Amino acid sequence: MATKNSDLDPGGLSRRAILKGLMGVAAGAAMPLAAHAALQSGPPARKAGTGLPPETQPEPSLDPRKNPSWEGWNNPRLGPTNGWSDASESAAWTTILNPDGLAIYHDRFYRIPESHPKHHWVMVMDTRKCVGCQACVVSCKSENNVPLGVYRTWVDVYQTGDTVPDPEGDVVLDGRRYRMDAKVVNMPKICNHCAHPPCVEVCPVKATFKRQDGIVMVDPRLCIGCGTCVNACPYDARFINPVSQVADKCTFCVERVDAGLLPACVTSCVGRARVFGDILDPNSEVSHLLARYPHSVRHPEFGTDPQVFYIGESGDISTDPDPNVQHMVFTYTSNANSNVPGGVDVI
Amino acid sequence: MDFANSTQLFGLEHVYWQLPLVAYPFLSGLVAGSFIVGSLSHVFGLKRFEPLAKMAIIVTLAFLIGAALAPLAEAWQRERFWELITRDHFPYSPLGMFIIVWIAYVILVLVEMYFLFRQDNIYLAQHGRGWRKTWHGLLTFGSRNLSEPSLKRDHTILVCLAAAGIVLAFAFHGYVGFVFGALKARPLWSSPMMPVIFLISAIVSGIAAMITVYTLIQGGLGEKPVDSDILDGLMGLMKWAIFVDLFLDLIELLTSGVRSYASLPVYRGFSAIFFSSGPLAFNYWVVQIGLLIVVLVMTFVRPLRRSLAGSNIAAFLALVSVFAMRYNTVIGAELQPKASQGLVRYTPTWFGMDSWQVVIGLFAIVVFLVSLSLLLLPWERSWTASWSNEGAAVPVLPGAAAGHAAGPKKGGTS
Ligand code: SF4
Ligand code: SF4
Repeated sequence: MATKNSDLDPGGLSRRAILKGLMGVAAGAAMPLAAHAALQSGPPARKAGTGLPPETQPEPSLDPRKNPSWEGWNNPRLGPTNGWSDASESAAWTTILNPDGLAIYHDRFYRIPESHPKHHWVMVMDTRKCVGCQACVVSCKSENNVPLGVYRTWVDVYQTGDTVPDPEGDVVLDGRRYRMDAKVVNMPKICNHCAHPPCVEVCPVKATFKRQDGIVMVDPRLCIGCGTCVNACPYDARFINPVSQVADKCTFCVERVDAGLLPACVTSCVGRARVFGDILDPNSEVSHLLARYPHSVRHPEFGTDPQVFYIGESGDISTDPDPNVQHMVFTYTSNANSNVPGGVDVI
Repeated sequence: MDFANSTQLFGLEHVYWQLPLVAYPFLSGLVAGSFIVGSLSHVFGLKRFEPLAKMAIIVTLAFLIGAALAPLAEAWQRERFWELITRDHFPYSPLGMFIIVWIAYVILVLVEMYFLFRQDNIYLAQHGRGWRKTWHGLLTFGSRNLSEPSLKRDHTILVCLAAAGIVLAFAFHGYVGFVFGALKARPLWSSPMMPVIFLISAIVSGIAAMITVYTLIQGGLGEKPVDSDILDGLMGLMKWAIFVDLFLDLIELLTSGVRSYASLPVYRGFSAIFFSSGPLAFNYWVVQIGLLIVVLVMTFVRPLRRSLAGSNIAAFLALVSVFAMRYNTVIGAELQPKASQGLVRYTPTWFGMDSWQVVIGLFAIVVFLVSLSLLLLPWERSWTASWSNEGAAVPVLPGAAAGHAAGPKKGGTS
């Protein structure tokens, strides 16, 4: 993996990166860093596509904080020869974000149902079938070039209950018998593409929008990276992409959906726990599932009207902040003292 | 790239709004506060604070510029700042609304400056030495009218501007509170009290800043010594502002720190962050509340109130307390996880993006702007004299002999 990355690095210094490097130097804040990045990224884009790393290329780090060109927007494989020059980048984004020119909405989302959309994409998470294998997380990362450390989708695994003493139990420890009186809950989490997304409404520059077919997206050409939307999402579904340095989030794999394919996470789901489809079509699988089974959404109390529905979770499916109630066995959260029962006095 | 400087991993539950966003409400609080202090003499007829008017307006402008730079320092693509004007999401986005109020405020302050300095500028345009003649000539925009009616008109305009400015100051800072209050994803922000809490502590910090700036400028550069009546008056004002501030803190405590009164997410966040073993407990109880109470006590002691050192120590402590309040509000709410458990880890860094370095830089810009104005604008009547050809004597302005302080002001004030 490491050698492969060094192949990709030489053309990694786009015009934007140079600008940023210079700004960093000017600010005097990131001098050693800018030098480091320049060293890592090598000479500018004209060498892109040669595929040959300079002899002096240092081993690139897998840490995105030390190696911002890692597999991201600076990827030289998307250089000018691939139709991804600075000039065509803008056109490319238009194609990716909204090829059919659907109406987009920045506020007053009640107008969407009034506009009689052709499709309304939703996802159903049938958690009865989720085995917590994390394949969707991997395929999302790979499909969308999501940098290290951040996630467009992730699957939290909780355990409720405990191991209790039981003379009949099958767990033997120090000569005593125990029984696992616990339930494991797999919670695939993703942007809910809310019907009333607070993240879209708070954007000061109308960089993020909701498409007529329900998909909430960010236009990376416009976003100023202020972070308001990241804070405004009650589900922590947004982040600032450390490579493109703009807000980023799940797009339901919009480029695949527009091409008639399913989102990457849906195709890779081993248990068919993730189902994607058009809720306006009464014959779609999502419509059938939602008609047949009771379902819930995450945090309905925020009034965002999420469009990702969960089947197979009884009652409240939001995370209990108390680790003693719900033990997080597996999480992608790196910045919180999450799965430490009793580690923090929450109640 | 600046991510490499971050001590914190990027990932879920990251504190995205860090120190510059703490400085943002702090700086805009100083704007609102100092503007209100500066308007006291015009709008409320408090003659005692007349000498503060010019100083307050300059400090207001400097803080105003600093306040707009702070959120830009936080934005990752700050070179796209012009989109805030060309693509403003008005009126749906609180930050988009902020830009409109900010621009209106800048225009108002500039117009007010024009009228405040008009007499001196005209005098200097006629009698100034060297480049000052041209510079102040430019600042008058060609006006040379110093007749009694025109000065009367100036005064009326100033009163109207100051009154409109107070409304804008409230809107401005109220809106900064709303930038946080509008984000329902954060239980500790999402409170209707937010604009009010921000506004009142803005007034506390604004008064404190005026005490410091007044002492520095008047004590260091002014002709007259520091007037302890003014210090006394400002401390008296601060007393009332702190009373209201502490009252609001108490309400906040009752509605977020008591389990029976608060909603569960609010109580969980508040108690985990600010109670006994929480990461911001010291910052809340000692720095934010404790120092404010100390200052409140100081404002009751008459000798302290009138003394240079006493009032300045009180002002400094009040500024520290208000900064801690901003920190607790901005960072504190972000320590509560949205999709995980426990508390988010955060330690501010000294250098790089989102660090103390940025905050210090922002304040350096403000200090620079204030210092620049010392060179370019006549803060005091005596400077006008020393910058003009005639030198020594206090300028006798045509048609307004020493009229600045008393004469035309009598009409519209009370
Ligand atoms: S889940 Fe979050 S990011 Fe997605 S639409 Fe809803 S509020 Fe926006
Ligand atoms: S980070 Fe970008 S998309 Fe999000 S609110 Fe700011 S400008 Fe809009």
